[in-house]
Amino acid sequence: MSSSRTRLTVVPTQRILVGRGLALLAALLIVAVTLAAMGRSPITLFGLVMHSTVGSRFGLEDLALFMTPLMLTGAAVWVGIRVNLWNIGAEGQFYAGATAATAVGLFTGLPPALAIPAMIVAGMAAGMAWIFVPAVARAWLGVSEIVTTLLLNFVASLLVYYLATGPWADRVTGALASTERLHVILPDIWGVVHWGFPLAVFTVVVLGVLLARSRFGYETAIAGANPEAARYAGISVAPRVLAVLLLSGGLAGLAGMVEVAGTVHRLQGGIANNYGYLGIVVALLARGSCLSLIPAALLMAFILDTGIVLQTTQISASAVLAITGLLVLAIAVGDELAAYARVKKTS
Amino acid sequence: MDEHERSEGAPRPLNLAPGTPPVLTLSGICKYFPGVIANEDVSLDVFPGQIHALLGENGAGKSTLMNVVTGLYQPDGGEIIVDGYGVTFAAPDAAIAAGIGMVHQHFKLVSRFTVAENLHLGWSETPRRLSARQIEANARTLSEKFGLAIRPEAVVGTLSAGEQQRVEILRVLSRGARLLILDEPTAVLSPVEVGELFIALRRFRDGGGAVIIISHKLDEIMALTDRVSVLRHGRLVGTHLTASTTPALLVAEMIGRPVTLATSYPRGNEVPVTPSPLVLEEVTARDDGGIIRLEGVTLSLRAGEILGVAGVTGNGQPELAEVLTGLRAPDQGSVALDGVAVKQADPAVFARAGVGHVPEDRLRRALAPSLSVAENAVLREYAQAPIGGRFGFSIVRAREFAQLLADKVGVKLPGAMMPIRGLSGGNQQRLVLEREIRIASRVLVASYPSRGLDIGAIAAMREMLAKARDAGVAVVLMSEDLDEIFALSDRVAVLCAGRLMAVIDRCDADRDRIGALMSGRTQAEAA
Ligand SMILES: Nc1ncnc2c1ncn2[C@@H]1O[C@H](COP(=O)(O)OP(=O)(O)O)[C@@H](O)[C@H]1O
Ligand SMILES: [Mg+2]
Repeated sequence: MSSSRTRLTVVPTQRILVGRGLALLAALLIVAVTLAAMGRSPITLFGLVMHSTVGSRFGLEDLALFMTPLMLTGAAVWVGIRVNLWNIGAEGQFYAGATAATAVGLFTGLPPALAIPAMIVAGMAAGMAWIFVPAVARAWLGVSEIVTTLLLNFVASLLVYYLATGPWADRVTGALASTERLHVILPDIWGVVHWGFPLAVFTVVVLGVLLARSRFGYETAIAGANPEAARYAGISVAPRVLAVLLLSGGLAGLAGMVEVAGTVHRLQGGIANNYGYLGIVVALLARGSCLSLIPAALLMAFILDTGIVLQTTQISASAVLAITGLLVLAIAVGDELAAYARVKKTS
Repeated sequence: MDEHERSEGAPRPLNLAPGTPPVLTLSGICKYFPGVIANEDVSLDVFPGQIHALLGENGAGKSTLMNVVTGLYQPDGGEIIVDGYGVTFAAPDAAIAAGIGMVHQHFKLVSRFTVAENLHLGWSETPRRLSARQIEANARTLSEKFGLAIRPEAVVGTLSAGEQQRVEILRVLSRGARLLILDEPTAVLSPVEVGELFIALRRFRDGGGAVIIISHKLDEIMALTDRVSVLRHGRLVGTHLTASTTPALLVAEMIGRPVTLATSYPRGNEVPVTPSPLVLEEVTARDDGGIIRLEGVTLSLRAGEILGVAGVTGNGQPELAEVLTGLRAPDQGSVALDGVAVKQADPAVFARAGVGHVPEDRLRRALAPSLSVAENAVLREYAQAPIGGRFGFSIVRAREFAQLLADKVGVKLPGAMMPIRGLSGGNQQRLVLEREIRIASRVLVASYPSRGLDIGAIAAMREMLAKARDAGVAVVLMSEDLDEIFALSDRVAVLCAGRLMAVIDRCDADRDRIGALMSGRTQAEAA
C-alpha cells in the first residue's frame, strides 16, 4: 500500500496545535543555525531573549503592552475575514481612533470617570467613520474594500503627523514631535500594564461569544459564505456588510484609543506602529476561532519583543522582519501538513 | 473480504476480439474519508470500444472512484492498471497524458474566453504564435473529427449547458483521450441535447474509444451502454452486460431491494376549496441581463394541488420560479400572495407566508457550501425557537435540528459540523427538500427536484411532494421528465419561449398534446 494519507477537509484543533508547535520549533532551529553562521551564539541570544520577554517582570509587562493593541486590531481584521471581507485599513482606523481619543483627552476637560468612556466612544466612532465610505461603497456598489481601506491608511498616517507636529503639537517642550501628555489616561494595573489589557481580552471574549450565539453572527456568516443563498433566505446582504465593516473599524479605533490613552499617552506620528497590518497576521493565525486571537496576539507580541531585544545586540532590524516572515511561513506550512492524516482501515 | 464479485468473474463484452486487453483495470481500489468508506475493494475492467456505465445510489462512491482514476485523489489501497501497466497519477494532468480524460458535472471552462480559446488553453499542441482565425479553424477541424458541433468564435459564458459540455468533451478528446469519463453528464441537458451527446459518444466508441458514464437514468443506461457496474456503499456489487440485465434487476442491486416509481399518486383526501394562495396576473419578467424571459403569464395556484410545469429547459422556468418565490420582481403585471398584491419582491415575505423553494441550482442558491450541515439545515428556521429568536442563535440546537432533518430523509451524517459540500449531491438535495417542505405551509416551488437523485431517492421525493399536496400545499413542480409530471400533476402548465401555452387538467393531457405545446404550437393547433 503506497499511500495511506488523505487530506482532511476539516482539521481537528489538536492536529493544528501539534503542527504549529513543530513549525515553531523548526523556525527557531533555522534562526539558531543562521545566527550561529553569523558567528553569534544562539544559546546566549536565546537566553537574552527569554530573559527579556517571559523570563522577567519587565519582559512580561512589555509583552502585555504589545499584546493589547494586537488583540484588538486582530479582532478588527478577524470579524471581516470571517465573512469574506478584508479590512486592510485597520492601521488607518487605529490612527483615527487615537486621534479622536486624544481630542477628548486634551480638549474637553471632563473628569476621568466621564472622560475615559467618552474616549472609548469617540475612538470607536472615529474608527467607524474612517471605514464608513469604503464600507458603503463595498456594501451597495461592490467596490473592493481592500483597495479603499488600504489607501485611507496613508491619509490617516499623514493627518496624524500633521496634527502632532502642527496645530496640536506640544508647545511646552518645544520638541514639536507630539502632542502634550493627555490629561486623562487609562490607569495602570500591574507595572506599566494598564486597563487596556483586560479590556482587550474582554472585548475578544465577548465578540467571540456574541458572534457564535447571536442571530447577527449567523446571518453574517451566511451572507459572507454565499450572498445568493442569503438573499434566497431573505437576509439582506448589504446592510450586514456595512455592519460588519463598521464593527471592524470600531475595533481598530478602540485599539488606537487604548494605545494612546494607556501606553503612549500622547498622540505622535507613527503611533500605529504597524499594529493595523500586524492585525492581519494575528487574524490569519487565529483562523476560524475568535478566542485564538489571544494566543496569536501573544505570539506576535513575542516576535516584536524579540526583534527589539535582538536589535539591542546589533542585529539588523531587517533580520527581525525576516524572522517574522519565517515564522508565518512555517506556521502556514504546519497548518497545511496538519491536514494530512494517516487513515486506518476500518471495516 | 467475502465472496463478492471480482473483475475476473465479470462477463467480457460479447463483440470483443479475443485477447483484447482492457484499457483500464481497477484492482481492489480503496478510498477513505474520515468516518466514511467512499470506496472499498473495487475491481473492474473497462475495454476499448465499449461504453461502461457506473450506477449507484447517491453517495455510493461513484464520483470518488472516478476522481481516483483521474488522479484528483490518491487511492488508499489497490491498483490502477492502464494498458497492462500499474500507474499512479499524481494529478489530473498525468491521467490526461495516459489518455484518461474526465468531464465533471461542474464545467471548468473560462467563461470570458471563446470556445476556440478554451480548447487551446493549456495544451502542448497549441501553436506558439496564435491568431484567432487559426485556432478557430483548428477548432472547426476538431469539431468535425469528433462529430461535436460547436461555434468556435462564441464566448463560452453565452453558451447553454449542453454547448459548454460539448466544448469540455472536445477539449478532453483533442488531448488524445482514449478513455472518456463523464460524471452525470445528462443531468443538465435537455432531451434533444442528450440525443446529440449519445450520438457523439457512440461515434467515439465505434472508433475504438472507451467511455465510463455515470447516470441515474436507467433508460439512458439501457439505450447507450454495453456494460454496467453497480456500486453500493462504496463496494462493487456486480458488473453485467447491459443486454443481459434489466432496469429492475439493476435497481434491486443498487438499492438492495426492488424499487419502482409509481405512475400515479392518488390523493388521500378531497381537494379543499380555498382561495388561491398565489396568483400571477399578466406577469412579464426579465433575466439579469435584461432579456424578457416571461411574457404575459397568468397563473393561479390551487391549494392541495400539484401543478406540473412542462417545457424545454431554458424557456422561462427559472424566472417563473423566482417570481413565484419573491426572488424576482415582475416587470409588468402583478403577484398576489394570499389575495394581497405584493408590492416589492422580497423572499423573506414569501418565506414567512409559507412559500418554500427548492431551486434548480442548490449549491449556488440554496446552500452555503463552505458552512456546516447544521448551519445550512436551519437556513429557514434559524430565527425561530428553539434554534434562535430575535437576537439569539444556538449552534447546539442547530446541530440537533440538522440531525433530525437528516434522520427524517435517511441521510447518514458523519457529523453535523462538517461542511455541507462534503455531502454527495443527492444528499444535499434531500436535505434541502425536507427543509423547504417544513416551511412550505402554503406553496412549494420545486425546480427539477429529481436532478442528481438516485431512483430510491426520487421515489421518496415524490412521496414527499404528494404528502405536501395532501396537506393542502399548492405544489409547483418543474421537470424535464414528462413521466414525472404525468405521475404527480393535477394540472399541467406548458411554457414555451416565456409564454404560458396552456394549463390543462391532467385527465385531458396526453404526451402528444403536451409535446406539441412545448414546441410552440398553440392550444387550438395542438388539440
Ligand atoms: N472530500 C470529501 N470529504 C469527505 N467525505 C467525502 C468527500 N467526498 C465524498 N465524500 C463522501 O464519500 C461518499 C461518496 O461520495 P461520492 O463519491 O460523491 O458519491 P456519488 O458520486 O456516488 O453520489 C459520500 O458519503 C460522501 O459524503
Ligand atoms: Mg457524484
